[in-house]
Amino acid sequence: MISQLFVLSQRGDNIVFRDYRGEVPKGSAEIFFRKVKFWKGDEPEEAPPVFNVDGVNYIHVKVAGLLFVATTRVNVSPSLVIELLQRIARVIKDYLGVLNEDSLRKNFVLVYELLDEAIDFGYPQTTSTEVLKSYVFNEPIVIDAARLPPLGPAAMFMQGSKRMPGTAVTKSVVANEPGGRKREEIFVDIIEKISVTFSSSGYILTSEIDGTIQMKSYLTGNPEIRLALNEDLSIGRSGGGSVYDYSSSAGGGIVVLDDCNFHESVHLDSFDSDRTLTLVPPDGEFSVMNYRMTQEFKPPFRINALVEEAGSSKAEVILKIRADFPSSATANTISVQMPLPTYTTRVSFELEAGAVGQTTDFKEGSRKFEWCLKKIVGGSDHTLRAKLTFSQESHGNITREAGPVSMNFTIPMYNASRLQVRYLQIAKKSKTYNPYRWVRYVTQANSYVARL
Amino acid sequence: MSGHDSKYFSTTKKGEIPELKEELNSQYKDKKKDAVKKVIAAMTVGKDVSSLFADVVNCMQTENLELKKLVYLYLINYAKSQPDLAILAVNTFVKDSQDPNPLIRALAVRTMGCIRVDKITEYLCDPLQRCLKDDDPYVRKTAAICVAKLYDINAELVEDRGFLETLRDLISDNNPMVVANAVAALAEIQENNTGPVFEITSHTLSKLLTALNECTEWGQVFILDALSRYKAADAREAENIVERVTPRLQHANCAVVLSAVKMILLQMELITSPDVVRNLCKKMAPPLVTLLSAEPEIQYVALRNINLIVQKRPTILAHEIKVFFCKYNDPIYVKMEKLEIMIKLASDRNIDQVLLEFKEYATEVDVDFVRKAVRAIGRCAIKLERAAERCISVLLELIKIKVNYVVQEAIIVIKDIFRRYPNTYESIIATLCESLDTLDEPEAKASMIWIIGEYAERIDNADELLESFLESFPEEPALVQLQLLTATVKLFLKKPTEGPQQMIQVVLNNATVETDNPDLRDRAYIYWRLLSTDPEAAKDVVLAEKPVISDDSNQLDPSLLDELLANIATLSSVYHKPPEAFVSRAKLATPKPDDDEEPDAAEAGYSESSPSRVVNGAPAPSGSSPVSHTSTSQAAPVPPTATPATAAPVPDLLGDLIGLDNAIVPADTAPTTAPSLPPLPVLLPKATGQGLQISGQLLQRDGQIFYALLFENNSQTVLDGFMIQFNKNTFGLAAAGALQVPQLAPGASCSTLLPMVLFQNLSPGPPSSLLQVAVKNNQQPVWYFNDKILLQVLFTEDGGLDRPEFLEAWKTLPDANEISKDLQNSVIHNVDATTKHLLAHNIFTVAKRNNANKDIIYLSAKLPRGITFLVELTSVIGVPGVKCAVKTSNPEMASLFFETMESLLK
Repeated sequence: MISQLFVLSQRGDNIVFRDYRGEVPKGSAEIFFRKVKFWKGDEPEEAPPVFNVDGVNYIHVKVAGLLFVATTRVNVSPSLVIELLQRIARVIKDYLGVLNEDSLRKNFVLVYELLDEAIDFGYPQTTSTEVLKSYVFNEPIVIDAARLPPLGPAAMFMQGSKRMPGTAVTKSVVANEPGGRKREEIFVDIIEKISVTFSSSGYILTSEIDGTIQMKSYLTGNPEIRLALNEDLSIGRSGGGSVYDYSSSAGGGIVVLDDCNFHESVHLDSFDSDRTLTLVPPDGEFSVMNYRMTQEFKPPFRINALVEEAGSSKAEVILKIRADFPSSATANTISVQMPLPTYTTRVSFELEAGAVGQTTDFKEGSRKFEWCLKKIVGGSDHTLRAKLTFSQESHGNITREAGPVSMNFTIPMYNASRLQVRYLQIAKKSKTYNPYRWVRYVTQANSYVARL
Repeated sequence: MSGHDSKYFSTTKKGEIPELKEELNSQYKDKKKDAVKKVIAAMTVGKDVSSLFADVVNCMQTENLELKKLVYLYLINYAKSQPDLAILAVNTFVKDSQDPNPLIRALAVRTMGCIRVDKITEYLCDPLQRCLKDDDPYVRKTAAICVAKLYDINAELVEDRGFLETLRDLISDNNPMVVANAVAALAEIQENNTGPVFEITSHTLSKLLTALNECTEWGQVFILDALSRYKAADAREAENIVERVTPRLQHANCAVVLSAVKMILLQMELITSPDVVRNLCKKMAPPLVTLLSAEPEIQYVALRNINLIVQKRPTILAHEIKVFFCKYNDPIYVKMEKLEIMIKLASDRNIDQVLLEFKEYATEVDVDFVRKAVRAIGRCAIKLERAAERCISVLLELIKIKVNYVVQEAIIVIKDIFRRYPNTYESIIATLCESLDTLDEPEAKASMIWIIGEYAERIDNADELLESFLESFPEEPALVQLQLLTATVKLFLKKPTEGPQQMIQVVLNNATVETDNPDLRDRAYIYWRLLSTDPEAAKDVVLAEKPVISDDSNQLDPSLLDELLANIATLSSVYHKPPEAFVSRAKLATPKPDDDEEPDAAEAGYSESSPSRVVNGAPAPSGSSPVSHTSTSQAAPVPPTATPATAAPVPDLLGDLIGLDNAIVPADTAPTTAPSLPPLPVLLPKATGQGLQISGQLLQRDGQIFYALLFENNSQTVLDGFMIQFNKNTFGLAAAGALQVPQLAPGASCSTLLPMVLFQNLSPGPPSSLLQVAVKNNQQPVWYFNDKILLQVLFTEDGGLDRPEFLEAWKTLPDANEISKDLQNSVIHNVDATTKHLLAHNIFTVAKRNNANKDIIYLSAKLPRGITFLVELTSVIGVPGVKCAVKTSNPEMASLFFETMESLLK
């Protein structure tokens, strides 16, 4: 099992270091960091999450800019260790409200106590915040960032790492509010990450939704909760065949998930009959359900890119994006990137008339340009013209050396899969018991790409 | 208090430590607690606060759990450096282990187990015994893990005090958390123990499968991993197990899913019904694909595992190739793995889609990824005959973009395509030649030169093209020089005109006189002799038709693949290496206490058999082993003009030449020619040997005993002057000749068979299988390592007896010479297969009979010097546990014999 667990900052500083078995030499953190930093010499290349140096296996994950690392000498299950590291990060976040270098340093005694209860002799014991509460006695010292209003605007979805958006709430599960009483509330977030690849002629080559229903409960007494999903939800794709048969998807239609899995606290007794999940939510943040869908769906953005050569060493790029979602929703923090031929020397941009909150940038180092838009209202169109100047004659194959166009965005209160929470029922303790219930949807780009 | 004061004065100024000391001894609880926190804070940033040991331990007696935990944290850290003071804490520990609060009881036993001080472990036993039977499950589960901790410190103590039995009892505990920890502890102890500690019977199996449903996710992984060692008796049982495990595939925890997949794959081996297998494959696909929606780190582990799974069972994911298409924001390590799997899943049905993807990837930014994508196109061409043409047209399109590294990579793969489909696609050579001057990487250059040489008759200006390379011959890397040499010879044989004749003179001169590279020089000499003795023979050899290569798609050797599949969901399946290749427990690597004596014994051994001492820089062995640099100086004086005189007979040369040619031309296909022998066990890991790794195993071939050895030089220096010596041992095994290991450059390796003789340096005392080996070289200290002598390599071919002889011999030996043992880990699945297997190791079957569902086999075997073993094996087919009774004139050898049988009947 794991021998040591440590948390390093981005600069390689040791923030937390716990040795469970004393079989790996002390310098392991430095060896690890040097290896990760110079994985491929000077080239910036990410090290794989699992590798072996001199008989010591190093397994790591990146969470919120921190490196969570475990070492071992035996043939462990690497997925167990990776899951464990991620879970440890989540438990710490549950306790501290926010996870960063500062909060870890301020609470190191608590963190060590958590690590001792969660792992014994390298074997994971429990990583449930709920269970840990009865064994852990230190109180978190909540740092300022944790006192953000619990329900900020859309910025709330920007928490956590880029890949795994943490839910909005940066409030410790265990610490009491300054006022003394805890607010009774529960958050349910339906987070969907969508991946779409458009061919050069605008067809959809691949499309996929990775969704998760995340819950974070601040309810006292752990009441039972019923969560009802679409009644017509069906699971399991029926064979291959016409996966991209658009004729059938025009209207409502049923939601078909390829596969899904559930948190261990979820009872599925009535799931087959009426698509409701029953659970007693443990404290802390957790995924009630993860799902994956390749059923055709309407991509929220259409990307149209046109490259025209203008003379031997000049070209013009016209990028058009159309927001294909209802005008009631608004996407924010949109960025569109396009790699350019290596011999591009200058780019001049031309934004549409009356453009607000749009910026453009030619990144010479990485030879690509970036177009950022603060927000896009559903149903609208936006266009960018970029004139490229080359240092040499292009060989007539600019399209092969430029692109693909990739896009990042977040659309709050919109989900592409049409998976819905019909209702969220909390077992009542008394007539006056009426906790706050927040059900929120958000769609994010994962790999959203249009080829040239 | 005066003591306290004196210490106070001993520091020159009032610093942090004295201040903390004062606070630790404060009467106020809060102040005490704050002080301990400050101490811990100092400890974690690496300050030495061990001088406060006594003061911190004084804070231990408190009801405040928060404070107690802090003190314990401190103790774990410093007990090792202050063992005498640690004893002070023992009383409190023992008291705490009987506290009415279960949290305190558990905390005490957990912490004591972490303090690796011998004196403390003695006191740990009684509290541990109590806690293992505690009423509270939290205490029991903590105690279960503590047994593993104690075993790590003092294995004997655990066995003597009967903790293993108690641990086994806990498997039936009513709390799943306790069961899971007991399983984890037993599995770990088993791993470090050769005896049967944790056997999974059908009874434990059903208990554990039940516990599986109630455990935490982590417990589920422990149980699934432990159960994967269980071999089901038949298909029906296997199906039952699979049915109980399948729901785990729906778990949100990826580790649970992968461990369940492993379990199902293992049981599937036994399931015969194709319907059931097909159904299981169908069930496994969605959860495996879902793993790819997890974080990239999980994806990476999943992809490495899927890579193995699709090699064994390609149908599982045959229709899912789209999920392996790369996303633009995938980390590079994920993209690389996805490419591998795409190649494996590529078929005539999906190749168009796949090629479209590869083409796209080939224009991305990351150079390594682009190269791999280009190579992938070539591999698909080699794999799918019907798609080859489409693949090639994509490659040509990519060449036209004129991105340097894309062109070079394309040329490398096109060379392989030519070898796979000879006389089919040569029309594209002209296009390739256009890019000639942009090549600057050795492998691409070598490939292009190979193409020019191979098709010299079709390329009008082949001589001009080659000549352009010749100018820089001395500066080229060895790889290119070798290809230039061969290509020029080919050109000359195909077009024996004036130009090529001049060229060949230049090349041969360059490659013999001007070079230090023995490979190049030797090859040049062979060509030279061949051309000067018999040009027709040279044609037959050099222009011989090449064997058609096939796609290896990085396929693993089947036996390695099976071993890796049995290790799905472990690090082994991520590295694609068997566990023994990278697992080296620290315990094994640390020097043993008796190491001090060993050098003497080994030194004595050296002088005893000094005749076999190897002379430094001895000539490398002849044959196909790598040519060593030491031979350079010896061969150099031979002048080129003398060649005809010393020319060896042509046929011998041909043998070598073909070997060389085949080994070097298809640079990409080397893995297919790798030996199919199972890897030798590592005896000296590179971590211990300063980069030198030695693997080896004794074996018998045609009645002669050999020591198969593999030396791998992973260090940064050239190693030479290898010698080997064996310490005295029970059978007097010693080297029969000198160790034939040439100079090893960094990164080089050499395998050798060392002939061995018996009865050279016998050690007195009770028989033991221990073989102590010493290896030295000129650059490093002497390395000592231990191997095992298994009797099976010693048994002679004349050990067979017929029934009357057997009975006679059995009767004449006194009953006291009969010894029997239950080999609990052994199992006989099939009598005929087993007897055949044993016969291969010179253990001869005398008779077989079946009695009340038990099979009894009588066997005989003989060691040199007439030590005969008469054996009776009793077992139930397919059920673990074989009773082995042995009667022999040397009963003290019986234990060695049992060890041997156990290894043979695994």
